Amino acid sequence: MIVRGELPRLTMRYLLLAVAVVLLNFFIPRLLPGNPLTGSAGDGLDVAAPLSAVAQEQLRAYYHLDEPMNGQLASYLSDLVHGDLGWSISRPAPVAALLVARLPWTLGLLLSALLISAVAGTALGVLAGWFPGRGRDRLLISVTAALSAIPEFLIAIGLLLAFAIGLEWFPLLGGRSVFPDFGSGVAGSARQILDIGWHLTLPATTLVLASAAGFLLIARDATAAVQSEPWLVVARAKGLPERQIALGHVLPNIALPLLTFFALRLGAVLGGALVVERVFGVPGLGLLAFEAIRARDYPVLQALFLLSSLGVLVVNFGTELVYLRLDRRRGPRLG
Amino acid sequence: MLAPYDPRLPSGPPLAVPTAEHRLGTNDLGQDVLSHVIHGARGALIVAVVVALISTALSWMVGLAAGFLRPVEAPLMALCDLLLALPSIPLYLLIATLVGPSRRNLILMLALLSWPGFARVVRSIVIQARSAPHVEAARCLGATDARIVYHHLLPSTLNVLPTKLILTVRFAVFAEATLAFLGLAQSGTVSWGTMLSQAFSDPLLFSRPVWPWLVLPPCLAIMALILATTWLSSGLDSSQGVIG
Repeated sequence: MIVRGELPRLTMRYLLLAVAVVLLNFFIPRLLPGNPLTGSAGDGLDVAAPLSAVAQEQLRAYYHLDEPMNGQLASYLSDLVHGDLGWSISRPAPVAALLVARLPWTLGLLLSALLISAVAGTALGVLAGWFPGRGRDRLLISVTAALSAIPEFLIAIGLLLAFAIGLEWFPLLGGRSVFPDFGSGVAGSARQILDIGWHLTLPATTLVLASAAGFLLIARDATAAVQSEPWLVVARAKGLPERQIALGHVLPNIALPLLTFFALRLGAVLGGALVVERVFGVPGLGLLAFEAIRARDYPVLQALFLLSSLGVLVVNFGTELVYLRLDRRRGPRLG
Repeated sequence: MLAPYDPRLPSGPPLAVPTAEHRLGTNDLGQDVLSHVIHGARGALIVAVVVALISTALSWMVGLAAGFLRPVEAPLMALCDLLLALPSIPLYLLIATLVGPSRRNLILMLALLSWPGFARVVRSIVIQARSAPHVEAARCLGATDARIVYHHLLPSTLNVLPTKLILTVRFAVFAEATLAFLGLAQSGTVSWGTMLSQAFSDPLLFSRPVWPWLVLPPCLAIMALILATTWLSSGLDSSQGVIG
């Protein structure tokens, strides 16, 4: 039950945040030092070719940079409403099309990694917290502590060295085979999907290893904390099997902090996905961003920032709605 | 100083495996890898320490202000919310590409964007302490606001600062290495992330016999630094009884 009064407040809050993100995306390049067109601040990124005076003039007119600030803002907003994110500087394509083409890779990687790490982390966390302080608990906690102390790209390089170079189980890079011959029909497309899955196993494993730790620790602490609750003792006294106690009684009670953490992790896992794509050469948004950095393709980076920020906001909003629905404690008090 | 060669100058044949002159071999430009690792340590530590100091100071001041000064509480917390809601890596990529990834710019960017989480912690401590009996007692005795803040609220926030400092050191090491790996470092900067980035931009990297000497030293150096901060923080926790 969504409590009346709570929903408008939440919606308002997230709308304000979204407006702030859209405005931030407009003002960041305009208020920071450095001129993208001349590349005056971009010391070090000298892969990009300098733009000719004519091209600079064209881009300035195209992005309405010759207009006063409020005119710029107006045209930015109207372009945005029409889904127009501008033209890429380094590629002959609109930015929106580039993003849409790359999005499925990153989204697939992100969602599968997030789901697997949430499920596996929670399951291991419940196992660890069931008997807090025992050997299993201590082992899992020290392994996660070690894993969470390693940046994603190092985990990625480690996996790459072990499984792609050492054991040669998985491909070195790319998102799919370079010269595929899958045959046709259902079997062919099945092989194609398997091929992509095979290429994405190591990147996804990296992200799972990096983000399962948090889920594990939260589930572990929450499980350990409810071990002496009266309702759990009652459930045990009724003679319920442990599995049923875990799934039917403990899990619903520890779900809320996990849900919050899921939303919190999203932005971080997204960042991880961008980095991991560079290690494994997955042709998603991360590789696009990497190429855009080298070519000083500001519209692409700006659109990436806008898209990912709004995406994170939308998911957080959804999570809060689910939270309101799940948290029965709020019902009687506020309603 | 400690490094055998100038890391910016070529000092041997390119892509050489370790020899007596080059203990960890050379990279694709013939620069000494060992010298790179040593100079990279300096860069990583400078960034980490400066970012940690600025960010901790900022989050502490913002937290105190938001906890004690009613008029600024709402705007400061709104700013916190906004910064916390943004996915950090895309934001860093955009800003660092715009302003140029010099070391000074990276430090400023990481320091100015990493304070919100901890500012909230400080604020909640202040709010808790605000209604604590000893503060009320001080107020009853006619203590001025400034005196209450300085003598009664400030001390209660101090013992969480070392934890924040160390966590931010680790964050900055992570962030600097990650950004450099993604190509965001001034050309000529010697850093562990740049070493990896350089190694990985060679499409034939893993077909060369020299690859372990290009990939493993910077990886192990970053790991060592991060492990050191982790041990430091867990040592600190157990000595203070702070659960972090």
